[in-house]
Amino acid sequence: MIISAPFRNSNPRLVVIGVIIGLGLLTLVADLWRVQVMDAEHYGGRDQAQSLRRIRIPSARGEIVDRNGVVLANNRPSYDIAFYLDQLGPVSKKLDIVRIAEANLAVLSQALNMPVTLSDGDVRIHYERRRPLPLPVWRNLRPEMVAAFEERASNLPGADLIVTPVRQYPLGPLAAHVLGYVGKADQNDDADVERFYYYQPDSAGRQGVERTCDEFLRGAPGGYTIRVNPAGRKVGDVGRKSAEVGDRVTLTVDARIQKIVEDALGRTPLAAGKELRGAAVVLDPRNGEILAMASMPNFDPNIFNPGVPAAAVNAVIDDQRSPMLNRATRASYAPGSTFKPVTLLAGLDSGSISPHDTVVCNGSMQLGNWPRPFRCSSWKQGGHGAVDAIAAIAESCDIYFYQKGIATGVDAITRTAGEFGLGQPTGIDVGHDLSGLVPTPTWKRTQRGEHWYDGNTAQLAIGQSDLLVTPLQMACMAATFANRGTLWRPFVIKRIETHNGMVVRQTNPEVRNRLHESPQNIEIVRTAMLAAVQSSQGTAHSAAVKGLSVAGKSGTAEFQLREGRINRTWLIAFAPYDEPRVALAVLIEDGITGGSTAGPVARAILAGVFQKKAEDAGIAEGQFYAD
Amino acid sequence: MPIKRSINSLMRMDWLLFGAMVVLAVGSVFFIYSASYRGPGQPMPHFYRMQAVWFGVGLILYLASTLIDYRLICQWAAVWYAMAVGLLVLVLIAGAKVYGARRWLVWDSFGIQPAEIAKLAIVLALSYYLFHRTPQLRRRWGTVWVALGLVGLPLVLIMLEPDLGSAMGLIPIGFGLMFAAGVRVKHLVLVTLLGLALTPVAWLKLKDYQKDRLTVFLNPSRDPLGDGWNLNQSLIAVGSGGVSGKGYLQGTQNLLGYLPRTVTPNDFLFSVIAEEKGFVGSACVVGLYGVILFSGLRIAMNARDRLGMLLATGVVAMLFFHVFINVGMTIGLMPVTGLPLPLLSYGGSFVLASMTALGLLQNVWIHRRVY
Repeated sequence: MIISAPFRNSNPRLVVIGVIIGLGLLTLVADLWRVQVMDAEHYGGRDQAQSLRRIRIPSARGEIVDRNGVVLANNRPSYDIAFYLDQLGPVSKKLDIVRIAEANLAVLSQALNMPVTLSDGDVRIHYERRRPLPLPVWRNLRPEMVAAFEERASNLPGADLIVTPVRQYPLGPLAAHVLGYVGKADQNDDADVERFYYYQPDSAGRQGVERTCDEFLRGAPGGYTIRVNPAGRKVGDVGRKSAEVGDRVTLTVDARIQKIVEDALGRTPLAAGKELRGAAVVLDPRNGEILAMASMPNFDPNIFNPGVPAAAVNAVIDDQRSPMLNRATRASYAPGSTFKPVTLLAGLDSGSISPHDTVVCNGSMQLGNWPRPFRCSSWKQGGHGAVDAIAAIAESCDIYFYQKGIATGVDAITRTAGEFGLGQPTGIDVGHDLSGLVPTPTWKRTQRGEHWYDGNTAQLAIGQSDLLVTPLQMACMAATFANRGTLWRPFVIKRIETHNGMVVRQTNPEVRNRLHESPQNIEIVRTAMLAAVQSSQGTAHSAAVKGLSVAGKSGTAEFQLREGRINRTWLIAFAPYDEPRVALAVLIEDGITGGSTAGPVARAILAGVFQKKAEDAGIAEGQFYAD
Repeated sequence: MPIKRSINSLMRMDWLLFGAMVVLAVGSVFFIYSASYRGPGQPMPHFYRMQAVWFGVGLILYLASTLIDYRLICQWAAVWYAMAVGLLVLVLIAGAKVYGARRWLVWDSFGIQPAEIAKLAIVLALSYYLFHRTPQLRRRWGTVWVALGLVGLPLVLIMLEPDLGSAMGLIPIGFGLMFAAGVRVKHLVLVTLLGLALTPVAWLKLKDYQKDRLTVFLNPSRDPLGDGWNLNQSLIAVGSGGVSGKGYLQGTQNLLGYLPRTVTPNDFLFSVIAEEKGFVGSACVVGLYGVILFSGLRIAMNARDRLGMLLATGVVAMLFFHVFINVGMTIGLMPVTGLPLPLLSYGGSFVLASMTALGLLQNVWIHRRVY
């Protein structure tokens, strides 16, 4: 039976239903538009945030080489055995990751016969935060361990051999204070950490060139992006950007000269029971390039690499002798008689000294109502007798400079000292060097609330008083006499270039000051300094080298310690006299006299640099004065 | 010649509607493949092949329900209805318990969901009942109560499984049919108000997970690793698809399992399409459903008789509700329920029910009045 019935065609209620359906579908499309088009970026970001992980690949640091290309710092591969925790097998409530890792580590430990040093906490934290990253178990393996791993355990699930670049200083402590060292970079850069969810820290320069040139040496870290599933397991690679090797830094330092300087310092003739603390700087007086800069005691920057026991690092950091202090730039001392050339030049320039004026030295002198007599410290029986400017420098007569200093006046002396850059940082391109101190009446009044007396001027004239200089400043001063009046800014970084040889930065020598004193007066002081070394009477004669015309000045500054009085012993020099190619300063903190302690060091340096035999000059006594 | 007549009849069907159905069916197989794909070299679940088989079986039912005159089919409405209720009772007694609910009748590895079949039976029974009431009787309360009873019995049985989503799915069928049949709007409003008044009581009866689903719908971030997870991940999948999508088999939310693998081929297939084909793809899907739904309404308007009109309206109401709830769910517009997307979602019972329903639409169309 087929039922049929009359039917009204247009049912308005169907139209209502049609409108409802139409509105419903429009709502869906509108909402899809909102989610997929308007908010697509937001949801796309959430998609990436939850499924993409970025892993940073630290870059290999650039090399540091000396002026001749000798490698001072490079990288060596470090072999680590690591576990990929997410490949160790299924984790369940009963069998948690720590148990699984322990079981696997035990197998590996037995195969390699090495104890496991990881704690449960290490494993758990790594599992929770950095699951797709390898967890290093043993670092810095010896080659035979690497072989043993390859042989016995490389098929173990989740275990892998990982090669990472580690900073190395092939010459050990050589030039350690110039090079500096590296440590792990701080993770303070929050934005970076967020961008790279799994952060493998770079190494960051901590001192010296490593620090100053850090941004160049570092290179650009690479990274790869992986995809993880909701359980945090890696499911695939998305992208990869390889790390760029850092730039190569060429120093002005000559590794050969640096070695000579460090060896010479190491053989400093010290009094029995004294410890070596000192510094030496060798400059090229023609442009300010630092050929060598050494500080003693020193340290081996290799100890800051990962894998070195903390005790070794702490031993250096906690050492009472401060081996990490760069005494060439970061310590200042009274210059003693090495300052006398400055006083002489100031006196000549101001007209208070005429080169042939003589002063009679009988060992001591009384000045005004000063409580005790001023002594000539380079004491000779009965004093030096009559000395002129040349002899006063050569034999380092204090009495001459007491008198001539007072005659010259404190203002002229400090002005000339300022022209040599004393009392100011040298502007060296590595590290911040100390400015030292050139005391003035104003300084004394404001800082000490005391009046400036002639006695102060007399002490200043011989490089005592409150005068403080760094060895680098003295080397610069020596260089300025050497080149007859140009004060160069000392520098260490000669050139920076990318690993494929494009020059990023080239340092041009920079003139800090040209002395306004007349060339004749400068020449008089140079001559006096030549006499100080070449003359057998000269207090710096111990720095003389056969076959080499060396000019210089020794200095012995008294320094009051709680334990007693010690001598800061100095020697500044330049050579060859006519066309100087090196200028140097040697400081030994606790020597006997400049001549006997620092002189031999300077002599060894000069002999080494000019490849001469280190023995006394053959110039006959009196020959010099015969001119 | 009955075969020749059948072919002639088939040639008269609504080809646009048929075309939309075929596109969705093909899309279904492809995106179920994508939804169960886990990357090269990984074992491939056979869901997509099963779905293709279901479409094959569905095509037979489709042809049958297209060709056997709907008036003849509806004469057996009481039988269909009784069978559906019988199956719903049977599933409560003998159904397989999955996650604490008895929704499946299982023989060997083969299972059906009586609730999906019941939806179709209700369309048939209610259309047939309302068709038999005179227009005057339809304006009385009595008709409303009987109609509500016809819907209410299976609804309560489905609630007992429990399957809140499917049970709710019966309501628009009932209301749509009553409205189209000319039941007074005042009565429908009063019934709605009564239903709303009873909601608090029903709330107390809800299982905890059902309450959770509803509250999570109100605040999806409340519990991002619990129930909100699915909704959040679906939103991320749909949203990250952007305008043009990430490409077929490229949906990371889908492939990596952020969209939960167990339910994605069924409940969240739309999210996969939206992620991999973007707004273009998802708007096309909604558009295809629009084609089907408005074709259905056109068929209802052109039906030869009131029975055909009611039948078509019931099918449209059923399909629309599923589309709206399922798509709305993937973008947080509607609560998370297990309501499948007609034709697209994986699952034999609803594929068969949907294809039979579409066959009925074609049936009404073929027997439309022709001027």
